Amino acid sequence: MRLSSIVYIELYKIFRKPRTYIAFGAIAAIVGLIQLGFYADGESYMKFGMQSLSDSFDVNGNIMNGYLMAFIILQTLLVHVPLLIALVAGDMISGEANQGTLRLLLTKPVSRANLITGKFIASSIYTIVLLLWMAVWALAISILIFGADDMLIMKSDMVTQILASDVMWRYVAAFVFAALAMLAVSALSFFLSIFAENSIGPIMATMSIIIVFTILNTLDLPIFNMVKPYLFTSHMLGWKGFFDVTVNENNEQITGSVENLPAVLLSAGVLFLHIIGFLFASILVFKRKDILS
Amino acid sequence: MLLEISHLTKSFGSFTAVDDLSFSVKEGEVYGFLGQNGAGKSTTIRVILSLIRPTKGSINIFGMSIEKEREKILQQVGAVVEKPDLYRYMTGYENLNVFARLSNKNISKAEVMKCLEMVGLDKRAKDPVRVYSQGMKQRLGIAVALVHNPSLIILDEPTNGLDPQGIADIRNLILMLSKEQKKTVLVSSHLLTEMEQVADSMVIINKGKKLVEGRVNELLNPDKVRLEIITDNNALVKSLLANSGWAKGLRNSPDQKVLVDTTAEAVPLLAKYLVENNIGISSLRSMNSLEAYFLSLTSGNEIE
Repeated sequence: MRLSSIVYIELYKIFRKPRTYIAFGAIAAIVGLIQLGFYADGESYMKFGMQSLSDSFDVNGNIMNGYLMAFIILQTLLVHVPLLIALVAGDMISGEANQGTLRLLLTKPVSRANLITGKFIASSIYTIVLLLWMAVWALAISILIFGADDMLIMKSDMVTQILASDVMWRYVAAFVFAALAMLAVSALSFFLSIFAENSIGPIMATMSIIIVFTILNTLDLPIFNMVKPYLFTSHMLGWKGFFDVTVNENNEQITGSVENLPAVLLSAGVLFLHIIGFLFASILVFKRKDILS
Repeated sequence: MLLEISHLTKSFGSFTAVDDLSFSVKEGEVYGFLGQNGAGKSTTIRVILSLIRPTKGSINIFGMSIEKEREKILQQVGAVVEKPDLYRYMTGYENLNVFARLSNKNISKAEVMKCLEMVGLDKRAKDPVRVYSQGMKQRLGIAVALVHNPSLIILDEPTNGLDPQGIADIRNLILMLSKEQKKTVLVSSHLLTEMEQVADSMVIINKGKKLVEGRVNELLNPDKVRLEIITDNNALVKSLLANSGWAKGLRNSPDQKVLVDTTAEAVPLLAKYLVENNIGISSLRSMNSLEAYFLSLTSGNEIE
């Protein structure tokens, strides 16, 4: 059976399930709330944030613009989106096992490897669609509400100014990177769903792994430092790298530059390897699994 | 042979669910796969369908090994394993359409509807499965098995949880598939009287082992009967029979009754013998149905 047919069927099942739309609703609600909050009270927030800068610089223009809003939203949301992704990816196999439909599926002439790959592609498409949805809300609607201008990003030791004409491609790259990060989460959740017969287990396990790995990342101990580069969670926020701009000897921003592109690409590579690794592990385990549900 | 199972064993750790089981199904017949709950029927069916891997043994369907030619074989097999669970959030039609697409054949909307009509669900096709009764789900499950027009149909306990009318509907459907559409049907059940009415051949298993295999009409030899006798003095009856020409047919039994295997013609003679020995007979019951046969086999008191 053709893989494309399996992907079509799996997508049909995903988007016929009411729980699929929880994530879309949650993202729209959270982003909408943040936008509403900033629309109502953003000026005082920005004034407070810019306090230290205003003493030394004369800052003009629309600082609280759509680009900055999108950055704030992404920073806030990408921490929570894994849960929304695990809701679907963690249910792909375990949900079928729980319903009892897995054994019925496997009485059909579909190879197990194709079924897993098809389901994996379908859950990946869902993840990408969810991120596109997030991009529409976080970026497009923010630009509509707050307008577009140069983007000022305040960090603990510096302020980066990115020209409005140099921002959009960075968001495209950031969303592509974020998609990789979320696909790694999706792949992990998908892999875990093979071992379970209800979706709560893989969802909880995915979140637990992310929390534990994130804690390991924050602990500056030699034993943990050794493993940190190999944990996918260490690379999930790599999208921020696209907003670090290189400056020339006159301290002027170089348009189209990324300060540490090799590090960003390395993070993307690590995430990609995790995705491929989880997919192959899923196929290997599922091919040998006795279907007892 | 359409389906051949040879020395099949399936163990889960130290527990052996199926133990050196062999049987074969001929093309065009309804083959009953009988056994009590937990006898290993569903495990065997799962191995046949390659849902679980055998510990030992081999399975050939259409002359091909299921381990090597799984997809090729499954194109010609339709199956329902245990209760048919379906996508509750989809309608009956959508469910059937999803499984039809997975069958690797071009199945038109009209064919899907025809299949629903065959199981009597065409008028409920647009209703979500979550509102279906158990019987309707069972029939939709059978439609899933039939939608791609397979040659071999495997139904695992298809009458489970159904009311008498539902059981009769499934029985008629199996007979129609066999007699009119010339399908080969392997049907498992613990409802032995039901199997008696549909199966041409059968195998009976207990604790994963084959007890007997053969044509139903041969296994149900009407000449052989088992008598269950309850008298005013069962101990005396057992002693009398043990010291008479009836000794060969006397079977171990609890004190409350006496069991004797004999022939149908000999029943009046035995009754007369007991009366002549002043035994008061409270009950004399002759069993020759498949159920009695099955119960006798699985209780260890085999009919000779």
